[in-house]
Amino acid sequence: MAHSTDSGHPLLEGLLVDLTPFDKRFVELEHKWENGPAAFWGDMGDRQFFTRDHLRSRRERNAAERENDSSPAVTFGIQTKDSTPIGLFVVAYIQPAFRTAILGAYIGEPEYWGGGYGTDALLLVVDYAFDWLDLRRLWLVTMSLNARVLRQMDKVGFTMENRQRNATLADGTWYDIVMYGLLRDEWPGRAAMLERLNLWPRAQATKG
Amino acid sequence: MIEGKLVDLVPFEDDYATYLESWMNEEAWFRAHLWERREPHTEDMVKKFIEKMEKNERGALIGFQAKNGDPIGCVIFDHEWSRVRKADVTVVVGDTRYEGTDEALDGLLMLLRYCFETRSLHRVDAVALTFDEVKFDMYERAGFAHEGTLRQHIRYDGDYVDIEMFGLLEDEWPGYETITEKLGLQPSGLEPKPKLEKKDDKDGAKDNDKK
Repeated sequence: MAHSTDSGHPLLEGLLVDLTPFDKRFVELEHKWENGPAAFWGDMGDRQFFTRDHLRSRRERNAAERENDSSPAVTFGIQTKDSTPIGLFVVAYIQPAFRTAILGAYIGEPEYWGGGYGTDALLLVVDYAFDWLDLRRLWLVTMSLNARVLRQMDKVGFTMENRQRNATLADGTWYDIVMYGLLRDEWPGRAAMLERLNLWPRAQATKG
Repeated sequence: MIEGKLVDLVPFEDDYATYLESWMNEEAWFRAHLWERREPHTEDMVKKFIEKMEKNERGALIGFQAKNGDPIGCVIFDHEWSRVRKADVTVVVGDTRYEGTDEALDGLLMLLRYCFETRSLHRVDAVALTFDEVKFDMYERAGFAHEGTLRQHIRYDGDYVDIEMFGLLEDEWPGYETITEKLGLQPSGLEPKPKLEKKDDKDGAKDNDKK
């Protein structure tokens, strides 16, 4: 496959999505995504008003912090097979001494929710974290209202390890913050997960 | 100063800054800061930590001392999240003689009193290594619920160990007066440490600090 520089070079190739550098196409969309419905789910019920200036200085601050950070992060853009940017994936708070990292992601374009795109990206990132970064545990945090992610965690084999009662407020109601963990020896590998989740036929259907 | 039953909360300065140079290298410190890499803390790093906490708008480093003025350790709240009114709470019993005493427990209760009754928090979070029974006991007596376990989350002396997670909600906190009455806190009767030399007599201060 040939890719021009503005269509995003895929570092990790999935069935429905590729993971690419978080390049300027994603940066352009960040303003829409951070002010849209995905941010509400990603920030556990928060709704913020981000100006472009605010997002720019946040990016610059993060980049500067990353320069001399003892627990660095890896950021990917998620794009469809036709190079449409749809979201982001972050492996953050990488702790070399513990070999752990926290995962964070959203699909910024709601029309791609529930179609297996996020799960396809997740399988790529879990493999990447274990096989390239040599981590041995991944964890992530969401709110109990987020039924879509709770189902996804269950399917992909993460274990719910902690439930902080009434720890976040979403649209006026208290919800629990739930934490999930996956240990490397529990992970059957991406290929096995694609079979188990029946993602091959889904990818075929999307193409057709 | 905020006065409690067995301990008082005080600004973290003077003798506390000197004591912290040894406290930050004690096992109790590393257990309480289990997210951080274990490494020796130099005098300069200790100073920087105090400065960082002084500037921290989402947390504070607070000293706590026995009624006779003997510094025991520090209580910390951090990562205060204003939207949902929650924060992480930590107690470090720097003077290890006080480990497991009611003074240590009162340090935690005073921190909770401050979080709920002064700062109007909705919820506080606390953590402990899976074998740290002294902490479990302290959290349980203070009314925390054990909410979960992060499996093999920390590298600790050759093993990957679990972290136990605890939470306490505003409406589960009976109030400082009520809970201290119920628990019937008893002073340990420990002798105060010898007074530190004046701060400008640096060598003298260090000798005393080492005990």
